[in-house]
Amino acid sequence: MMKNTLKVERAKKNWTQAELADKIGVSRQAINSIETGKFVPSTVLALKMAHVFETSVECIFQLEASD
Amino acid sequence: MNSQKKHLTDRVGVYAIIWCCSYVGSLFALQTLDIPSPAGIVLVVVTVLAFALFAYKYFRGIVQMDEVQVKIHMEAIVFSFSLGLLLLMTLGLLELVVGLNEDDWSYRHMLPVWLSFYFMGLFISKRKYQFDDEKHP
Repeated sequence: MMKNTLKVERAKKNWTQAELADKIGVSRQAINSIETGKFVPSTVLALKMAHVFETSVECIFQLEASD
Repeated sequence: MNSQKKHLTDRVGVYAIIWCCSYVGSLFALQTLDIPSPAGIVLVVVTVLAFALFAYKYFRGIVQMDEVQVKIHMEAIVFSFSLGLLLLMTLGLLELVVGLNEDDWSYRHMLPVWLSFYFMGLFISKRKYQFDDEKHP
């Protein structure tokens, strides 16, 4: 459905899931679920992520080739 | 989870306990004590108010949760709602075919069954979004 580079972006910043969760005000479970593709975040959450990583939403989230 | 959200969740738990206590207390009083009807109705109203308060706090608690937690609770609610409806429909139809014993199946019996459906749904949904600490630091 949708792939993401959240783990890569997180590694670039050397942040743990808990740290990222704190920065955008969600639970660590939410970050893990998004990272592993179990959950697709809302636009607001995706924008918040893009903001903390100082990049665009499209850089973090991409549609799978089949979509 | 920040401290404000944790505080809200804790408060929902407190209101759930208040509702459960008032329900069990009313049930006990209505079943075992010889209470006049007006007093009985007051007990029922008190229980309804306790539930209404709990439901309000629960709703406010859900609003404060993040998207994944909301989804977990919504899935649990959908699960319990579907199974509860299934049970109601089955009992309603069965009642037309065979006489159901009211001591075994009544409105009062539906409450714990429906609640157990909710917790089953919560358990299943939480497992779905469970994470492994070692794999994802």
